[in-house]
Amino acid sequence: MSGSTILEGRGVLKNFGGLCAVDQVDFRVDEGEIVGLIGPNGSGKTTLFNCITGVEKVDGGEILFKGENITEDKPYQIARRGLARTFQVIRVYRDLTVEENLLLSRQWGEVPTLRSFTQADPSLHDKAAEIADFLLLGHHLHEKAGILSGGQRRLLELGMTLMPDPDLILLDEATSGINPTLIQTIKDRIREMNGRGLTLMLVEHDIRFISDLCDRVIVLNYGKKMADGTPDEIKSDERVLEAYFGDDGGSDVD
Amino acid sequence: MSRHLILDNPGVRRAGLFLTALAVVVLAILPVFVVERGQEGFVTNSLLFNFTQMFMMIAMAASWNLTGGFTGYVDFGHAVWFGIGAYGTGVFMTKVGLSFPVATAGGVVVSVVAALLIGSATLRLRGPYFSIAMLATFVATREIIRIAKPLTDGGEGMTLPPYLNRPLFFYVTLILAVLVVAMTWWLRRTQFGATLIAIREDEIGADMRGINTTLHKITVFAISAAITGLVGGLWAYQNTFIDPDIVFIERRTLDIIIATILGGLGTVAGPVIGSVVFYWLRDLVWSHFLHYHLIVTGGLLIALVLWVPEGIVGSLSDRSGATPLSRLLHRNREEQSEDDLIETAGGSDPDGTES
Repeated sequence: MSGSTILEGRGVLKNFGGLCAVDQVDFRVDEGEIVGLIGPNGSGKTTLFNCITGVEKVDGGEILFKGENITEDKPYQIARRGLARTFQVIRVYRDLTVEENLLLSRQWGEVPTLRSFTQADPSLHDKAAEIADFLLLGHHLHEKAGILSGGQRRLLELGMTLMPDPDLILLDEATSGINPTLIQTIKDRIREMNGRGLTLMLVEHDIRFISDLCDRVIVLNYGKKMADGTPDEIKSDERVLEAYFGDDGGSDVD
Repeated sequence: MSRHLILDNPGVRRAGLFLTALAVVVLAILPVFVVERGQEGFVTNSLLFNFTQMFMMIAMAASWNLTGGFTGYVDFGHAVWFGIGAYGTGVFMTKVGLSFPVATAGGVVVSVVAALLIGSATLRLRGPYFSIAMLATFVATREIIRIAKPLTDGGEGMTLPPYLNRPLFFYVTLILAVLVVAMTWWLRRTQFGATLIAIREDEIGADMRGINTTLHKITVFAISAAITGLVGGLWAYQNTFIDPDIVFIERRTLDIIIATILGGLGTVAGPVIGSVVFYWLRDLVWSHFLHYHLIVTGGLLIALVLWVPEGIVGSLSDRSGATPLSRLLHRNREEQSEDDLIETAGGSDPDGTES
């Protein structure tokens, strides 16, 4: 169910000192797709996410979101355009309740109007409660995020990306450190979200998770794009197997 | 791991609120019983003066807490707004000839404008860098006031039109303290207040979720400067004399920081409880062991940071939002996350060590 291109990178380049973390990568994500981004540790996956979301300034190339150039935008401006993400290291506001975490992740206006000095609209509260239920966090709505387990915090982060009704969500290792039952929940939820027309891009180490979910997989190695194709094509690509699995070829990584 | 401590009990919280309201009422009728110098009685002008200073401390601690406690930007030069407010009021009264209320309002405006300018530079820094930049701002402003002789009369100081009315200052500062604390209570419940805490907890995360963190930081910084500038203006008028060395003393910042930490950084009640305890403790030490008062103050700060980092309110409740000073300054967690965000190339370990 892919449509027009929603996110596109042209020759994206990012150096850290003498090290080329992302080396002129071209990529494309179409509307309604789930695209996986894989590669060995240090291959530049998270750096690419950081470039897309404006955390890292690119040293070359350009990034287009919904046809507009977002290369020079600040992170909060990119978020307001409808691009949400999660993080490899969980970023929830630990001293705020689950509900407050969700409410603060709403769609923000251009300037905080005087309405910021009021409490959130009841409709936002309803939406936060709905999302919390969707992610099995309904019972924890009024508890501080700091007391949630690691897996629950991952779910909360996922919920926070849903709050602003984004057009594209980037998930950075949404399953790392999560027990298998909860991974299944996350997988189901991602599928359900995609079914509602949401486009997703995932960084993941779990190949089974990627091949179950993704329409297309992009492989990075040493900052360069090595392959781009369906999960089946990727799994049979010799260079990918070499780079990703090393000599023992084919053992699962998780 | 949720603890249930005494202040988590809604009954205890209600009782605390009731006692506070009662204390405010008792304080409000106190000046009625004031006795003249030489007469027998408990309520002296000196007692009213002490309470006035305490109310000022509460208002300043509560406003410092907005940036230092809620937003996590520990301001080591907060008294600069006090000084600018005091000098603004002084200059507008003596050089321009404005009446006290108008001059004080002018002082507040100058404080806010200065906060917007200075904050838009210093608030880009984090942790200890911000704290030190604010300390430098404070020292630099004192020197600027000293040099700007035509306007401020430099080191000789400025005499404001004398006006002695202890009960009036008592009431004005009492109302100010109540209003400021009520405002922080209300602010904490708005989306703006929650955003401040989000910035403290994870500024990068807030940024990437669409929050214009810079705008929020500068806004709260200006609010905080306005309150402290107002206190400075009131102080200048009741003191009738200002010079750079009595207005810009480092201890003023230190006092409100200690009071806030003692009560509980990042809580609404913390600055109130901390200021009340610290003010009278300091008064006691001053009147009995004057030579040792700095040792006592320093010792108290060390003891607090080591053993009661979350303050009185923080150690008695679990839902207060109190946070230790060390966490705000070090920002260990966030720096850690930032490092992890930047995935460095090199060693391609197929086992995924971090997963």
